[in-house]
Amino acid sequence: MDKQTGRYAALTKRLVDSVLAMPGHTASELRRSILARAARLGGRRDPADRPGDGVPSSLGGYVDTVAVHAYKVTDEDLTALQHAGNSDDVLFEVTVSAALGAALGRLERGLAALRGEESSPPVPLSAARRGGTQE
Amino acid sequence: MRLRTVEHGHRLSERLKLILIRLVSGRRVPDVVKTLFYRPEFFGRPMCDWTQAVMRGPSPWSVGERELFAAFTSRLNQCVF
Repeated sequence: MDKQTGRYAALTKRLVDSVLAMPGHTASELRRSILARAARLGGRRDPADRPGDGVPSSLGGYVDTVAVHAYKVTDEDLTALQHAGNSDDVLFEVTVSAALGAALGRLERGLAALRGEESSPPVPLSAARRGGTQE
Repeated sequence: MRLRTVEHGHRLSERLKLILIRLVSGRRVPDVVKTLFYRPEFFGRPMCDWTQAVMRGPSPWSVGERELFAAFTSRLNQCVF
């Protein structure tokens, strides 16, 4: 990521580039949109984009669940997506893109906090915390 | 594992590694390892390189401290490992 700094920046960039640019079963642009959406849910400050940009509504709910509280994904969620025509490889790439995006958003937010730049948490994570370890 | 192809669809080289891991450990291979070994050029290989550097590379934090951070974070995410 462009904003990524520190000693792990090169490794992070290679990881992101691989997931976004590697030929796969989904369009690179879709993976990029999913990653950006999940990163915002993870806390990335990215006012240039709007939630949902480029992510089909049929995948949006699943992407958000993976990004915010992945433990809530159910067999039924995956079965419904498969019945809608998504192959396992498509769902693998969607899941990885969402998980990586959420992780990057949290990483960036954590690094910002260490630099003293962090203020209030974004709403989605506050909502997610209600469904965290207390359930 | 909810995706059959990630559970059973590994290429031969990765499948052999998974068999070896199962034989050596005497246990079922964890889902996270199967995920990392599925199409590793896409995600698993660069992810493992990143993890190795972060968790085992030079750092002011000890390996044990870093593992504790990871375990705590995973607990907050309701991810038991």
